[in-house]
Amino acid sequence: MTIDYKKELESAAKTMILVHDTQVLIKLIVRMIVHKVKVNHAAILLHDTEKDTYVLTVSRGARGLKVPKGFARMDKDNALIQFFTQRLDEKLFNHGVVVYEEAQELLKNDEIDAHLKQMLKDASYQMEIFDSRVAIPSFFRDELLGILLLGQKENNEVFGRDELDFFVALASDVAMAIRNAQLFRDLEKELDAKKRLFVHTTIALAAAIDAKDHYTHGHTARVTSLSLEIAKKLGERNHDAINEKFLEHLQFAGLLHDIGKIGVPESILNKNGTLVGDEKKKMQEHALLGSAILQPIKELETAILGVKYHHERYDGSGYPEGLKGDQIPLVASIISIADSFDAMTTDRPYRKGLSRQEAVDEIRRQSGKQFNPVIVEALVELYQENKI
Amino acid sequence: MPRLLIVDDEKDVREFAANFFRKRKIDVTTASSGEEALALLQNEKPDLIMLDIKMEGMDGIETLRRVKLLDKDMKVIMVTGKKPEEENCGGKCAEYGCLDYINKPLELDELEDVVLKHLMN
Repeated sequence: MTIDYKKELESAAKTMILVHDTQVLIKLIVRMIVHKVKVNHAAILLHDTEKDTYVLTVSRGARGLKVPKGFARMDKDNALIQFFTQRLDEKLFNHGVVVYEEAQELLKNDEIDAHLKQMLKDASYQMEIFDSRVAIPSFFRDELLGILLLGQKENNEVFGRDELDFFVALASDVAMAIRNAQLFRDLEKELDAKKRLFVHTTIALAAAIDAKDHYTHGHTARVTSLSLEIAKKLGERNHDAINEKFLEHLQFAGLLHDIGKIGVPESILNKNGTLVGDEKKKMQEHALLGSAILQPIKELETAILGVKYHHERYDGSGYPEGLKGDQIPLVASIISIADSFDAMTTDRPYRKGLSRQEAVDEIRRQSGKQFNPVIVEALVELYQENKI
Repeated sequence: MPRLLIVDDEKDVREFAANFFRKRKIDVTTASSGEEALALLQNEKPDLIMLDIKMEGMDGIETLRRVKLLDKDMKVIMVTGKKPEEENCGGKCAEYGCLDYINKPLELDELEDVVLKHLMN
């Protein structure tokens, strides 16, 4: 055994700890063992936590027996699994490995307890079935995560002590990697569940606003989906800011953009006619109010910008701060157009909604005045493609 | 020597199972499809057939039905996959007269036991 591949294996094992797809790396390890240690074949049985059984996941070897992936398994009551889970390997051998030849020697020893002997005999028969000379368990604490099985060396030499020690160390690294991958998967599942909970809670909140405002039934959902369409269109045109994270923020901003209306009296929200004086002022407060309501939610930082500034105008004549041009956050500029488009095309008791064509024309006229020209272009394109 | 016919469209499975049983002093023939198996049976009469359910072309269940039409006494065990509808052949194989079935991934000593038991009977 030369030092260079030992290094290679060590670094592979270290990489494994960082990589969350263990299958790929386990394959790499097995391939390397077969080539560099020159064994006829090597295989790994991995614990399938769902079915609580050990499945032969990787098997390689030019000369030896190649077990098709997913073909073989060992149940928990399998003699070899039992041998390791009861830690009989430690009782009988002092190096954490079962070497077939050593097992055969031990079986001739009359001093060993009959029950123990039977267990060893059954376990070594399992090794025989897989044509393996060495079995190395991979433990994380007391949990048997897998077993590495090695066939005969190509030159029929016996495995050296240093080689076996090295495999034990490798097996423990592999165990860590598998464990990490499992933890990572569990964490992701949990995160997904939490994210879904959050999205649904937000949708419920949005529905609460819609319910309060009689005129705008379904408005929130339409603004959200139009905003996302616009953003995707901008993304197609290589707008750098558009990535998955941005779309997520935009979705929340869309759903929550009118949440401040919760603080606007219903008499104003549902007034049959144009708002005047104080009424107008009260209505306009909803943008700031919305951002204040959401402010404690740190995760919504970007979305809050959309809520706060969705009534700003490109030429600086909007509210609450009179921001101008590129001072207006992209997320707000997008919602602003989607919001206006939906308001224009929806019927109100005191006026009929515009047609889509008319609304697009109006928005075009406001390009560079009320709206950001780049986003206007995206909307026009969507309209021309019949997507809105 | 008892004769076993292994029918599976996966080369690795055929080779592995053939080696596995040859070491146990069994005369093994292999076929890579249901069609090939049926053609083989025109000239050969194995003591047992180990038949995979999920195969390209004619599947194991149809192959079993036709094998039984050729020779109603032929002993056949089915190898079934992981999906629930495949497990235990969804009950169909028993109707066509299979002797036994083994679910993949399988325990090799269980495979050995089942095959040897039916070969020796």
